[in-house]
Amino acid sequence: MIETLYVAWRYVTYNKIKTVTLVACVTLIGVLPLALQLFLNESARQLLSRAESTPLVMGAKGSSLDLAMNTLYFDDEVPELISMAAAEEITQSDLAAPIPVYARFQARGFPIVGTSFDYFDVRGLEIEQGRSLALLGECVLGATVAERLGLKPGDSLVSSPETVFDIAGIYPLKMKVVGVLQRAYTSDDLAVFVDLKSAWVIQGLGHGHEDLARAKDPSVILDRSDRNVIANAKLVQYTEITESNLDDFHFHGDPEAYPVSAVIVIPHDVKSGTILRGRYVEQDTSYQMITPKEVIDGLLANIFRIKNVLDAVIFIVGLATVLAITLVFTLSLRLRQREIHTIFKLGCSRLTMVRLLGTEILIILLTSAALCGALVVVVNYYSHDLVRVLFIR
Amino acid sequence: MIWCAYCLFVDYLEARQRGNLELRKTAWAFSLFLYCTAVFGLDTLSVYTVNYPLKYFAERIGAEHVEVSFPAPADIDPAFWLPDAETIIQYQQADLILLNGADYARWIDKVSLPRLRLVNTSRVFQEHYLTVANATTHSHGLEGEHSHVGTFFTTWLDFSQAAQQARVIADALVRARPAHRASFEKNYAALEKGLLTIDRRLQSKVEAMSERRLFASHPIYQYLARRYGLDIKSVLWEPDELPSEEQWALLGRMLSSHPAATMIWEGPPLQASIDRLRALGVESIVFEPCANACNGQDFLSVMRRNAETLN
Repeated sequence: MIETLYVAWRYVTYNKIKTVTLVACVTLIGVLPLALQLFLNESARQLLSRAESTPLVMGAKGSSLDLAMNTLYFDDEVPELISMAAAEEITQSDLAAPIPVYARFQARGFPIVGTSFDYFDVRGLEIEQGRSLALLGECVLGATVAERLGLKPGDSLVSSPETVFDIAGIYPLKMKVVGVLQRAYTSDDLAVFVDLKSAWVIQGLGHGHEDLARAKDPSVILDRSDRNVIANAKLVQYTEITESNLDDFHFHGDPEAYPVSAVIVIPHDVKSGTILRGRYVEQDTSYQMITPKEVIDGLLANIFRIKNVLDAVIFIVGLATVLAITLVFTLSLRLRQREIHTIFKLGCSRLTMVRLLGTEILIILLTSAALCGALVVVVNYYSHDLVRVLFIR
Repeated sequence: MIWCAYCLFVDYLEARQRGNLELRKTAWAFSLFLYCTAVFGLDTLSVYTVNYPLKYFAERIGAEHVEVSFPAPADIDPAFWLPDAETIIQYQQADLILLNGADYARWIDKVSLPRLRLVNTSRVFQEHYLTVANATTHSHGLEGEHSHVGTFFTTWLDFSQAAQQARVIADALVRARPAHRASFEKNYAALEKGLLTIDRRLQSKVEAMSERRLFASHPIYQYLARRYGLDIKSVLWEPDELPSEEQWALLGRMLSSHPAATMIWEGPPLQASIDRLRALGVESIVFEPCANACNGQDFLSVMRRNAETLN
């Protein structure tokens, strides 16, 4: 047996190009459906686990998928905004606890998520370094953000303008990094968390400047009357919130009119959740109340429909490859007629010949299987991050 | 702690097997003590407030079931205080955070607090908030006119409103610890009675007053004035500072249109201020708003004394 294995091994190592091609074909045919299945399972797990831990989401009427993806995974596609009055409406209903989310702005490619302190409790997020959000203008980084940007508590992060052409727009806000979250293996790792009010400052709804009634530089005043002071463009608005200028930061208008992208709704019980959903089914309301699990289930159903098509394609390609490999072996036998004849003349039986060829095929298949296994292990190891990069964000 | 109690209980059982009476007694006592501390300690509700009146109401209603904290330094007006990050983190860890509402303690707009644990105690009468008229507005950029001055906030000086704020606190405590509903309701009833007694006393005192025009050293008595029918004009004088000549001149001008015979101070004024006011025909009385700790006295005692000073 060992002689047969030796001769077969020598043959496959001598015909390197042919062996490598065959191994690659068999490996690909094996690894493709397995990797695809792993990706889909991981996508489903990630999408569903996040969706299942978020009972209800309230947002503006429109695409429920955009609303779910933005609220759960901080997707770039921002749904139509609603006002804080929506969160207040939920509070007043006494049926659920609202957690407003404002995921609209970005900092160095990562989403800035403005939310209330309760978000961290609901998601079970813990601080690994530094402390939690305390003052306006502070931010807490997801583990991946901190790692990729090389930031730690004490550093700063500047919000990005929404468009590069917005020259006359809002000044970017220099945020103070006060903490880094423990890795949660969710979208939260890829987010920059700020208090909702800090998000409104980024938007320009809250700002800081010296008190105009006591302005030291008279040239910043355009006009002054008994009841009103008008400043010109020279008035400096602070781009960083520090302890010394925190008092000068203020908001204007009714806080209930301030925007949020969605409100995560945590009903007190199942009955409360059902009542709340019923309230927002009516046509005359400008809000929609979605169950993220249902939306993500719908998304997954589409993904799995596509997967069935992919499975069929892979099956046909696999069949073609198997036929091609069979052809390769058949042609190989023809090419090796003289070699086989010589083996017969040396006194070997037909069975020895079959064993020899069988061992060659076995070596190729085993090598492919080993490679296939290794690739599946690698894909499985990186599937979490790959799914995040390829499918979710 | 429960684990420690359990371990000590196991020690007690072992001592009992060995017949060691002293060890048995000690282990049993410690076990029982730790268990009780753990059970009752876990049950205690941590409540943080933004001023002293709310702390007093919460302590009166919650009694032994709550641990109420109001971490502002004693010499600071809590309305204009800005806690440091460490204090804010303490607030974040509370089970309930009692807010006064009516724009009181504006630092709340500048910090991160758990929204679901905030209780705005004056929300029930927010339609009746008094707002600042004639505030200077300003404009810059595209925002249009806006003002940084908003609502009068010493809501508790209208004692009927104070009772409503106490009711909101009682409801919040009942929601957080429904098992103690009876105790909270009983304590609230006693507090409400105290507050409404002062309310009635003030009403009867003011009805008996021949002159209802008053001066106030600070613009903090708007709700008191509205509820009890007082006509109060305010200056901006500090009790521990002698007013400037400019301030005296302003008072003189005010006296011609508002001939009040009494000035209400939020704290004991300087004798020199009292004397000079007396020379103008204005007597000084102290009506402490008690926004911060009232020199070790409780809220109701100080408010009863305040009510008696009005003549």
